[in-house]
Amino acid sequence: MRFLVAKGLAGLLVLGSVVAVAACGSSGSSSSASSSSTSGSSGSASSGGKTIDIYSDLPLTGAVTAQTVPALNGEKLALKQAGNKAGQWTVNFVSLNDATATSPTNYDLNVCQANARKAATDPKAVYLVGPFNSGCAEVEIPITNQGGLAQVSPANTYPGLTTNDPGTSPGEPAKYYPTGKRTYLRIVPRDTIQGQAGLVAMKQEGCTRVAVANDKTPYGVGLATQVQLHGKANGITVTGVTPLDPTSPNFRSYASTIKSTGANCVYTAFNPPGEVELVKDINAAVPTAKIFGGDGVCSGGETNPKMGGFPASIAPLFFCTVATQGLTTYPGGKAFLAAYKSAYGVSDPDPYSIYGYEDMQLALKTIAGLGAQGDSKSAVVAALFATKNYAGAIGTYGFDANGDTTLKSYGLYKVGPDGNPLFFKTITVS
Amino acid sequence: MEARSLPTRTASSGGKRALLAIRRAAGRWGLVALLLAFPIYFGAHDLITGYPGYAHGHGTRVHDLTYLGTNVVQGISNGAIWALIAIGYTLVYGIIELINFAHGDVFMIGSMTGVSLWSAIGLGLATSTLGLVVGLPLALLVCMLVCGALNVLIERVGYRPLRGAPRLAPLITAVGFSFILQNVGLLWRGGSTVGVSDLIRENKSVVQISGVVVHRADVLSIGVTIPLVILLGWFVSRTRQGKAMRATAQDPEAARLMGINVDWTISLTFLIGGALAGAAGLVYALYETTIWYLQGFEAGLIAFTAAVMGGIGNLRGAVLGGLIIGCIQQTIDARVGPQWTPFFVFGLLIIVLVLRPQGLLGEETREAG
Amino acid sequence: MNELRAQLQEWRAAIERRLPSWWPRALAVALIAFGLILPQLFSVTSNFVNTEILSLTYVMFALGLNIVVGFAGLLDLGYVAFFALGSYAFGWLGSGWFYKAHVHILVHAPASTIPGIHLNFVLILICAGIFTALAGAVIGVPTLRLRGDYIAIVTLAFGEIIRVFALQGPSLKIFGMPLTGGELGISGTDAPYLPGVGMFSQLNIRPWYYTIFALVLITLFVNLRVRDSRLGRAWIALREDEVAAVSMGIPLVRTKLFAYSLGAAFGGIAGAFLAAYTTLIDAGEFQFGFSIFVLSMVILGGLGSIWGVVLGALLLANINYYLIPDVFNSLPGDLGLNFNLTDLQVSIFGFLLVIVMVLRPQGLVPERRRKLELTRGLGETELEEPGTSWAGVEPGEVVQ
Repeated sequence: MRFLVAKGLAGLLVLGSVVAVAACGSSGSSSSASSSSTSGSSGSASSGGKTIDIYSDLPLTGAVTAQTVPALNGEKLALKQAGNKAGQWTVNFVSLNDATATSPTNYDLNVCQANARKAATDPKAVYLVGPFNSGCAEVEIPITNQGGLAQVSPANTYPGLTTNDPGTSPGEPAKYYPTGKRTYLRIVPRDTIQGQAGLVAMKQEGCTRVAVANDKTPYGVGLATQVQLHGKANGITVTGVTPLDPTSPNFRSYASTIKSTGANCVYTAFNPPGEVELVKDINAAVPTAKIFGGDGVCSGGETNPKMGGFPASIAPLFFCTVATQGLTTYPGGKAFLAAYKSAYGVSDPDPYSIYGYEDMQLALKTIAGLGAQGDSKSAVVAALFATKNYAGAIGTYGFDANGDTTLKSYGLYKVGPDGNPLFFKTITVS
Repeated sequence: MEARSLPTRTASSGGKRALLAIRRAAGRWGLVALLLAFPIYFGAHDLITGYPGYAHGHGTRVHDLTYLGTNVVQGISNGAIWALIAIGYTLVYGIIELINFAHGDVFMIGSMTGVSLWSAIGLGLATSTLGLVVGLPLALLVCMLVCGALNVLIERVGYRPLRGAPRLAPLITAVGFSFILQNVGLLWRGGSTVGVSDLIRENKSVVQISGVVVHRADVLSIGVTIPLVILLGWFVSRTRQGKAMRATAQDPEAARLMGINVDWTISLTFLIGGALAGAAGLVYALYETTIWYLQGFEAGLIAFTAAVMGGIGNLRGAVLGGLIIGCIQQTIDARVGPQWTPFFVFGLLIIVLVLRPQGLLGEETREAG
Repeated sequence: MNELRAQLQEWRAAIERRLPSWWPRALAVALIAFGLILPQLFSVTSNFVNTEILSLTYVMFALGLNIVVGFAGLLDLGYVAFFALGSYAFGWLGSGWFYKAHVHILVHAPASTIPGIHLNFVLILICAGIFTALAGAVIGVPTLRLRGDYIAIVTLAFGEIIRVFALQGPSLKIFGMPLTGGELGISGTDAPYLPGVGMFSQLNIRPWYYTIFALVLITLFVNLRVRDSRLGRAWIALREDEVAAVSMGIPLVRTKLFAYSLGAAFGGIAGAFLAAYTTLIDAGEFQFGFSIFVLSMVILGGLGSIWGVVLGALLLANINYYLIPDVFNSLPGDLGLNFNLTDLQVSIFGFLLVIVMVLRPQGLVPERRRKLELTRGLGETELEEPGTSWAGVEPGEVVQ
């Protein structure tokens, strides 16, 4: 009896204090699940009544920040260049973080949901940049779809989010769109394209037998599947697809199996974690094999020994594909690089920086083009899907009915003399 | 308060006694058969069906035991690292019956300390052999001291105040320290795996025994583990402090009555366990040339499994368990695929414990007070 | 320090003496009412309510684990296995995953039109509970002959094995369809449909809240009844002294397996609910860390103490999911320091565990039986709480 009182009082106290803190917390900041690691404040002041909200949802904690912080910087650069305005509308930018330090996959599914809910139910929100991970997208898209909010990802490449290409699960993509209408788009080509681009590149470089490895993430698995599915059509024999644990300290046993299959090239469908070790181990076992990667590993962090990448001796054997073809070849590319350098002091940013920049620019220009209708979620969605021949920093493109970009060209990158990836060829997938 | 396993009923008739003897023999030999099952199966498979090889520009099938030999050699060298960590677990458990969850993370700190130390004293890829011969043992010593001290500190702060507390309370403190150490690692070296300079050129072969290549990495691992284990064995069985440790493990109350300073003995145990974990950390960094802030969590799991499989509280059991698991891992990694390795390792553990509940070399630990 | 404690004890005893006898019941009702009103105080998509949904799910997990570790004294380190099995039960029975089958039982559109196995939400929860209960019994069998801490490693081993199957699911085919989605996950699960409430949506999380609240109330009810039943007393007897308990005629195997099964069932149902709420069953979620997290809640709250475990679960879940990432995260920035509290989340959590356990090793609300054990007959120790006595306890009354 007495103990029940103690428990009850304690329970009441806990609940009461948590509620009090919650009430203070939620009323205090407008972006409680946010705060990027580069700046403390996350929004521009909203003035008057003509404001709209643009959200960004990226994983901003952990190892992935090497790519997501440049993406976020790109977004902010675009905003700054536009003076925080989209036509007649003043933009209130809210940056959300879907990562938690304890989550092993970097993004936390429940946090992804919470962020999507926040954006989708905000009456002034008209655009969501993100997410970064395809797994996060799988839970976010149904929510933003129900809220009618336009969601444009700068990074998701898993085909099942927009199409039912071979290699996707049954029921995709319809299961992500409960309203039946599309509200999700992406400015990067999906892995169906990238896989084929990789195969074309490998064929051109003389590969005949290719071993494929993936890092078990949705991105890795999807990309590897696409390479496997289209191998024969491109005249390449895929000797096998092997899932590897990216956190494994070494991949020697895998590398030795490659040797016995007689593969002369290896395709690594990996994200940064584990890639450097994998390349080193493959090279140790098969010193003549050429190693290919997707856009997940096409950055200095992997290729530049000074940034923790693999040794320079392996550099001539490494190639990777990115959806951008050398920033300097685009009309907008040089300007972007210059602006990025002056804003952040980095002259060779991660390729995701321009994706973030492009995503935000697309948002601003689309909203501006709608004039007085710029604060209508449905108008923004319709305008995005109607985009054709849009001249952006990554090229001229539009979107198809699935929300996929019409860009089908990939850049093939080698390791340049400074250790960072250097564009040297365009690969166009038919 | 502690649940003991049920005493087996004494057989009343000769028939039942014989049955019991058969069961016991089956249990013991069954266990041996189980452990030898993998090498025998894969050995036979290699000899009869052959394994894929590559020679003269095309795929061939090779029919010898070299592949198995490679697996075993790498298994032993890998397993030696697990053995060092497992000893720490088993020592601590033997003396205060605590599963020290923070132990694996002490190992991780050891790795990180070692790597930072190299950069601090200037060891790099360009260092001469002499420099390495002097620098690395120095680094080893420092790592062992640092980790030993860390372990003693954790014991002092987290476990000693809870000596009289419910049995599971220090378990949670251990978990808490594990998290704290992980965060230290996260802040120290970031969230992804970090490449480490290959100081000893670990892939260079040292000797070839009938086709099986022994790399420098293997020599390092075994070369550090064997002396340490022998040293520890001597310490525990021959010195006074070692005797004190054994006495405390058997019955702390009686040990105290005999004038042994139990607190000091426990601290010594933690010191030794931590030092071995530190040594394992340095060896790991040189062996794998990669470190990661979560490596301790996973290594701890494997080492704990090894300690239990060998019989928790038993030193030789921990070493045996570590070596067995190392071999299983390498064999399954190479032949079935690394994604299935945990299944085999843990499956084997379960079967071992079903056949022999006290572990391979386990004995009765002290009775509950 | 001891004087302060004695003073607090006196005040507490004085207050308790003045309260009417119906006070505990009124308090329970008040707490339940508070819990019911809570979501109405916040918006339909409030992040705080979202956290409370997660917290209540963890309460259910913790109560389930409490049966195994607290009541029966079996150290289970593989509780994540039941979380995984419950989640996958929902994935298999409530989505289009097994697309070759066409089973629809009591479902509403759009689930009734999609291929796959689609059962009513309540049916799925029941099936998940039964499935995990069976799995619990299976996992329990090898541990029957083992000593205390060996049970821990075997259950841990099972947890890891289940994880391997979850990850390797895509390559394991059943009737030509993959078993699980691995790390890509089983996505697009059905939204629950309850008559009167309608279809659950992700844009209005109140129905979700009330569902898990109801589940927690049911769990509490079952726990309280079981604890005071013969089975509950059998568990406690086994925990305290197995040999004596068996000599008194308690069926060892049945009692232990029942503990595993019941604990697993709650874990499975909570896992199924969480899968429904998250709409994605990603094999990456099922890690050993989850088992430790739930175990911490149980031990922190007070091993074997039902209300303690509830308190421990609410506290740790709120701290981990709300206070640190959401509320305190901007604190350093506000104070002018340049770091993200999320980066320190793990160590803050660890620090908290250490502090609470060192200061109060018996847990926040210790099981009363343990408290009495420690105070009766053992002389003065740090843990003694003067004032506790057997007075007022009826003969035959089970002391919790």
